[in-house]
Amino acid sequence: MSSKSSLLKVILLGDGGVGKSSLMNRYVTNKFDAHLFHTIGVEFLNKDLEVDGRTVTLQIWDTAGQERFRSLRTPFYRGSDCCLLTFSVDDSQSFHNLVNWKKEFIYYADVKEPESFPFVVLGNKLDVSERQVSSEEAQEWCMESGGYPYFETSAKDATNVAVAFEEAVRRVLSLEDRHEHLIPTDTVNLHRKPRSATQCC
Amino acid sequence: MVHVYNCHPFAAQRIVSAEQEPGLVCCGGGALFVVSAGGCKIEAFDLQREESPVICRFSCAGTVLSLQHSAVGDYLVTIEEKNNATYLRAYTNWRYQAVEKTRVGVRLLGHLLRGSSFRGAPKEQMEIIEIPLFEPPLCVACCSLTGDLLVGSAKSLVVFSLKRQTLSEQLSVLDFERVLILHIQGWSPSQVAFCAGYLALQTELEVLVIKLVQQQKSAQTAEENALLPVDIMVETSLEDDAEMKKDGFSPLHEQEDFFVFPKHQEMLGSEAQHCGITLVPECTAMDSESRGETTVVYVLFRRFAPDFFQGCSVEETRLHSLQLHPIFTGKQEESSISRCGDPDCMFVFFSLPNTGYMYSLKSSVELVSTYQYPEKAHQAVLSDQFLYVITRNALQCFTVRCSAVAARVQDPYIDTTMKACPPFSMEVCALRIQLFIGLKVLCQDGDHIVLLTAADVDSKENTERPARKNTEWREHRALTGILLAVGLDATSAPTLESLLSKSFLSRKSSVCKSTEAPDSAHGWNLYVISSVSTLQLYREIVEYSKRYEQSNPCSQSCVHLLSEAHLLLRSALLKLQNGPAEEKQELLEAFQESCAHLGDCFSRFDKKDCHLALPYYKMSGLTVTDVIQRNVSMSGVSSGYGRGFIFFLKHSLYEETVEELSKDVADKVLEIFSVAEPAQLPHVVCCSSMLNADPDGAGALLEQLEASGAPSITLALCRASLALRTGDRHTYSQQMERHAEMLQVYGFIEEPRLLLHGRGVGLMPTLLAQQLRDSQDGLLVAALVALHENSRISLEDAHLFFQELCKDRLEPDSSPQLLVDFWESLLVASSRESTIQELLFRLVSVYISRITCSHPSGCKALKTADDLINSCSHYGMLYPWVSILTPNLYHDQQEDLLKLQSLLCGPTLQVSSILPLLEPLSDSDDPGLSVHVLCSTKLGQHEDSIHRLLDRCPQAIIPYAQHQLHHHTLCLWWQKLFPEVCDRIRKTGNDNTILLSALKETLIVAARELTPLEFLDLLPDDGTAHFFLPHLLECCQ
Repeated sequence: MSSKSSLLKVILLGDGGVGKSSLMNRYVTNKFDAHLFHTIGVEFLNKDLEVDGRTVTLQIWDTAGQERFRSLRTPFYRGSDCCLLTFSVDDSQSFHNLVNWKKEFIYYADVKEPESFPFVVLGNKLDVSERQVSSEEAQEWCMESGGYPYFETSAKDATNVAVAFEEAVRRVLSLEDRHEHLIPTDTVNLHRKPRSATQCC
Repeated sequence: MVHVYNCHPFAAQRIVSAEQEPGLVCCGGGALFVVSAGGCKIEAFDLQREESPVICRFSCAGTVLSLQHSAVGDYLVTIEEKNNATYLRAYTNWRYQAVEKTRVGVRLLGHLLRGSSFRGAPKEQMEIIEIPLFEPPLCVACCSLTGDLLVGSAKSLVVFSLKRQTLSEQLSVLDFERVLILHIQGWSPSQVAFCAGYLALQTELEVLVIKLVQQQKSAQTAEENALLPVDIMVETSLEDDAEMKKDGFSPLHEQEDFFVFPKHQEMLGSEAQHCGITLVPECTAMDSESRGETTVVYVLFRRFAPDFFQGCSVEETRLHSLQLHPIFTGKQEESSISRCGDPDCMFVFFSLPNTGYMYSLKSSVELVSTYQYPEKAHQAVLSDQFLYVITRNALQCFTVRCSAVAARVQDPYIDTTMKACPPFSMEVCALRIQLFIGLKVLCQDGDHIVLLTAADVDSKENTERPARKNTEWREHRALTGILLAVGLDATSAPTLESLLSKSFLSRKSSVCKSTEAPDSAHGWNLYVISSVSTLQLYREIVEYSKRYEQSNPCSQSCVHLLSEAHLLLRSALLKLQNGPAEEKQELLEAFQESCAHLGDCFSRFDKKDCHLALPYYKMSGLTVTDVIQRNVSMSGVSSGYGRGFIFFLKHSLYEETVEELSKDVADKVLEIFSVAEPAQLPHVVCCSSMLNADPDGAGALLEQLEASGAPSITLALCRASLALRTGDRHTYSQQMERHAEMLQVYGFIEEPRLLLHGRGVGLMPTLLAQQLRDSQDGLLVAALVALHENSRISLEDAHLFFQELCKDRLEPDSSPQLLVDFWESLLVASSRESTIQELLFRLVSVYISRITCSHPSGCKALKTADDLINSCSHYGMLYPWVSILTPNLYHDQQEDLLKLQSLLCGPTLQVSSILPLLEPLSDSDDPGLSVHVLCSTKLGQHEDSIHRLLDRCPQAIIPYAQHQLHHHTLCLWWQKLFPEVCDRIRKTGNDNTILLSALKETLIVAARELTPLEFLDLLPDDGTAHFFLPHLLECCQ
């Protein structure tokens, strides 16, 4: 295991008020506070966990969803291993904005291959009774956008929170494994002349 | 040669219980920071407390590649890597991270959240400031005085200044501002250091130190350049560079066409600007206008070359441990308190595997110390008092010379007879070599050293791999670089390439072998080692020195150890400038004691440096009596007295700063000199502090000395003065009559203390001087004149001497006659213009006051006016008309008047300078008149003199005119004198014979000098023909 994979940077994006900070707090400290302040700028928390026998440090970056904090959050997209696109199931606007969040992330994180980058979509506030976004609607968007896993969560009663984060970790790790597998075939040895070419003629 | 001693600078060691194997370690601000081997977690431990408990743990946002702590601002700065990108981050408020599960704030440099959030509830949370850079950072350094940052990248260096933004009364946050970019071409440092405007940059084999200087934009240069477009200016500077390269100033890596072996190079001061590395500053500060221009001043360049022929590789020659070290001496009180002024000293340290170098950078740039390590050093850290070095298996503690350099900056009296300090060129020594197994990392903070040991490096392949890859790559790069430099392209030459790869292969195989060894579970340890207090170490070193002293009292090692101990105390005192008074007092006492020890040491010496006994004893606060007693008891052990002690004694006695010695001690001093240096006895006897010595005993010693054939004049005078003390008139006269007065004067020059003791305010005439005053005043005055002319006494001191000597004489005058005699004699003897003018002024003043004062002084002067006129050019012959004015009638003041008139008739006295003195002198009597007329005549005011003389003493007018009116004043005869005389005759009538004869004389001169026509014009209309006609005839002939 290389040292690089031991720290996974997972970033939470989504409209202000969809519950990004609450999700993080629920996951890391297992607490819920209904009256959290707005997040300003960017903050993060760490959590050590074991996924499929591998110990990793999950670094969850919580961002300020409000538009006025855009310049404060975008510089920190770089270096992310996974992006959690979050909306609130009782707010259809927050769902429709996911596409913008994804664009913003890809642009500022300077992602080389956006198609294969691990996004995970979270529909939060499952506990609220008046839904505005249906599960099917959300799943359909995830499929169309690139087959992202979709989780419906509730930070308030802890539904699906851990599962969602663990899935994010799994996504990253599997991607990394693929990359490591690719390395030898991908590399061209520049020092060795292609001797076979001369023999060919 | 490196002295190795076995002292105990380390007090205790304890083990820090880090959770995971440490990778990087750094300390600062009383805390130890450990990055776990994985590289993402930092544990902070409290170094100040026993057991070093954990302060907090926190995670970084990436794998930490480099870590530094800044005491100013208490922040950590890291270079981190995450997903192949490198970041520079500052961790502030890290102490709030006590609870691990607290959120960590992250923001970009300059993005302060001034808004509502902080106002409501100040968040006491850790905050990471991400510092964006154009290029990936390679190395970073913090300024220990300002907290500013220096970041090195491949093509530039960037300076960030630390800002403290106050958000509210309770809350201020840190931020950075990018203030300066230095663009470098073709040279990128692998390590940097930054302190108070000094930048030290290090590559594998080169070190460059520069200083950034803010210059207020000078209007002139701006104007000069304003005429040229910017691109032309750039071009010319580029051309300059090109020319410089042609001249061969540029370093090897610029000269790819030439086959040049890299060689050792040392360029000090401005010479370093020819090193070929160009740094172009670009100011990016917000207030760059007001800051003025930043210029780069080159301070030092050093290049090392691996000895390829000896088989040394770059790997074995690579530099490490670059460090800048400031020292404040407290000379500028304020700046040292705030610690943000310019430090008084600045040192740079860097190290090769086998040798360390310390340079002093301020005032003059010079190599202060070279450290020869007994074995290959991994890392070295310089502190105020020590240089700590780790090798594979030992922690070594070397002494440093910072305080020796600082002492000389602080105190200009060092290296004089007043004060001393061991030279900074003194060889350094290893105070201790402490064994440790598998030392990897060393860092230091205050009194604590932190060591990381790891039992077997190679067994931990996983964690070590990236690091080793890195070194291999660097090595390859360096080697290829050198080959390129010597004109070979490794890739184009297959043999070389195989050579390169072979050397690495062999290394790899050796690594592989050792990996087979079984891995132990916990092969590492993190130690905190505390230092003993300076006082404790000082005492140990002093004890240690005594062992050397016992075997050989003049042992160099003994002096060396005592000097080291002395320097330790000096550096502790420098550190403690504003510390607690009690601790300072203890150190000061130890410091004085150490001076006394050094004084003892040097006083025993016979040749080299024995003169140092004097300043060290002076600094020790010991009285001369103390010192004598110490040395007398020491001389019991060894034989005789050391030259250093005699030197000390001689100087102390002769400088007359010594307390009056008791009879016993004074007799002991005589005894010491009679053994060690009998020729000094006459001088010693005359010292003011020796007055209590037994005069008979001293006389006997002098007699012995004379019997051994010593020069006898001073001796005789000495014996005479001793005889006076005992009241032995007979011996006194006998000794005084042995030599002519002329020779005796020489005796006084040789030993002025025969006549006077002390200097300045405390000046006292001796018994002999008092005797001479009464019996041989001529000799006394001659002796004092000789002393003055030989620079043994100043005019002021002589003044004090005579006033003291004559204070009980009833002389109404403020200047005793003897003093006036002295001035007159000195005027005759002296050839120094300034002295002469000073004496003339004083004498004129005395003469005038005596002439004005009606009471005669009653004292007879040594020299009469005639004596002076005959022996001295300053006293001129009296003009004939002066004698007519003041015939020999005024007996009382006659001599003083004559002397004054004679001075006024002489060539030297500048009348303008004495005019203020004339005010009290009335011209109502003839003496007064004569002086005033002399003065106005000297000033060229003849018309005024003519008036006065015609009014008051017409009989003197013709002698006056004959003597004074010549050349260009000749015309005054007819233009002034003639009409005046005519006028007066008209008023007083024709029977004034004096005026008539004056008129006749005037007509004779006029008739001789004028043409008949002019003469005719001159004649008055109412003149009688028979009176004037003969003169007219004369004129016509």
